[in-house]
Amino acid sequence: MKKPGISPYGRIPGALAAAAGVLLLLPLAGLDAYFLNVLTVGFLLAVFAGSWDIAGGLAGQISLGHALFFGTATYTCALLTSLAGLPFPLAAVAALLLSVAAGAAVGVLSAPLKGPFVALLTLALGEAAHEFFLGQTFFSPRGAYSWGGEGGIPVLLRLQPLSPWTAYYAALAFLCFATWAMLRIARSEEGLIWTAISGSELSARASGVDILRHKRRAYVVGAALAGAAGVGFAACVGRATADDFSLELSFQAATFAAVGGRGTIVGPVLAALVLHSLLQGTGIPPAGRVLTYALALLLTLRFFPGGVVGALRERARSRRMVQAKGEAL
Amino acid sequence: MTPLAQVLLDGLFTGASFALMAAGLALILGVVKVVNLSHGAFFTLGAYVAYVLDDRGVGNPFAAVFMAAVIAFAFGVFLGRSFINPVRSHPFSVAVGSLGFAILFEQAAQMIWGPHPISIDLGDPWVALGGVTLRRWGVASFLLSLGLLGGLAFFLSSPWGLPLKLVAEDEEIAGSVGMDVEKIRYLTFGAASAIAAVAGALLAPAIAISPTMGRVPLILSLIVVIASGMEKVWNIFFLAVGLGLLSNLSAYLLAPHWSYLLLLAVICLLLVLRPTGLSATVRGRDY
Repeated sequence: MKKPGISPYGRIPGALAAAAGVLLLLPLAGLDAYFLNVLTVGFLLAVFAGSWDIAGGLAGQISLGHALFFGTATYTCALLTSLAGLPFPLAAVAALLLSVAAGAAVGVLSAPLKGPFVALLTLALGEAAHEFFLGQTFFSPRGAYSWGGEGGIPVLLRLQPLSPWTAYYAALAFLCFATWAMLRIARSEEGLIWTAISGSELSARASGVDILRHKRRAYVVGAALAGAAGVGFAACVGRATADDFSLELSFQAATFAAVGGRGTIVGPVLAALVLHSLLQGTGIPPAGRVLTYALALLLTLRFFPGGVVGALRERARSRRMVQAKGEAL
Repeated sequence: MTPLAQVLLDGLFTGASFALMAAGLALILGVVKVVNLSHGAFFTLGAYVAYVLDDRGVGNPFAAVFMAAVIAFAFGVFLGRSFINPVRSHPFSVAVGSLGFAILFEQAAQMIWGPHPISIDLGDPWVALGGVTLRRWGVASFLLSLGLLGGLAFFLSSPWGLPLKLVAEDEEIAGSVGMDVEKIRYLTFGAASAIAAVAGALLAPAIAISPTMGRVPLILSLIVVIASGMEKVWNIFFLAVGLGLLSNLSAYLLAPHWSYLLLLAVICLLLVLRPTGLSATVRGRDY
């Protein structure tokens, strides 16, 4: 029987609510525009890290090309608003559809592969997209200069510029909604099947699961969420650059997930939020930031393979077992 | 078509060094049984060592090769012993961790030497035959790569190579006949990393040195290793030279960034068309 107060997820829901409360209050406590912006980008990165965890954590696919979906969304937003002159909402819908298509394509290609070969294929696909868009320039309709590559393409919102407050609360609402949705998915039947595939593909197949189809679905769901984060990023930053496809970004998603706890959704989201705000807020240059992420990743993988949330969950479980033994005696 | 002949010759020379690097990766895959994504970082390390020595006025390629090998061996043994060995049964930790080490090194190199490509002076032309120039460094790197590959092939077929082959074949038997399997693993990892750094030092004057330069040879070696095995060193050589020619030709005929794109396309095709092709090499474990 389930005891009141001990949910299978421990104290996580309460902690999440407290964190959301603090984040809601922060702007009112007089945080300046720079930190608001850092946190806004942090919220979007948190959704991105969570979306990695769908295919990468729950379904156990070692994906190293997740930036492909993010970059597809930002580039679509930029190209459609700046070059084709479409309004932003229409471009956002197109961007979401294209990321889903990219997710389906990657899913079809990598579903038959196993273990490290998934990592190689997704890495190669992401790098190919990055290399292509790094060299690809577009002629801007106004003036004779070119867009694309490192310099990027502007995203036209056609609204008055978003105030930092609006962007902050919109991104926070998006993060809360996306986290809720991802947790729902993780606890649904589909999520259970993904966890089974991640545990052992053979036994999942033996119990009659069409593993290829479910792996493809995991990629599509993950890509859709990553695309949504990309649309938010394009609107918030106002520019799409080739860096949106970079291996560093894919690597960050995998790092946040590994540090927070692979397959827990909450872990990657919190790890992304905390690591990004801490390192960006203290003004460390980008190279130093990624270097710190890599160090954190190596230490976590070596000493806490389950990540922070995984380690906490393990501790709670062993404590419960000790209690149960005590009651039985 | 003299430029074409020059391009082909350069492709042959760079391909020989890439073969060296691929042989190192194959060694890691065979003995340690992990897909190592940090191999490119050791290539970059070797190139930067050659650059620093050249910058200080030591123009001798052999000094650069020696220094690069020693430094990379130390780092490789450290990485193999303290990270790869303990986590090697977790494919996720190995893939993301070795990529993490590579990115750690890339970012460190970017902080020390800056993000922009730097280069080493190639030296004066040595021989010019009908418009095709041979340079001392190019010839030295080609001969040294060939020599090291031959040495590796000899080592693997000699009695001294038996422990490696036995660990690759069956680690339990290797352990039960009294071999220190863990030690063989991290020493192999270190030696293979040293080989990658030697390839980087040899190729340093031929390509632009930048923090992310190791990615192209990493992808190239992965293709070679997927397509061939660990034992046949000369298969590795011909495949790597072929890919070196392909990438040089595509850079010459299309545009420089197409050579990397082409290599990425090749590895994607290879993985998609042969989804189970490599599991024969990394066998015995349920992923």
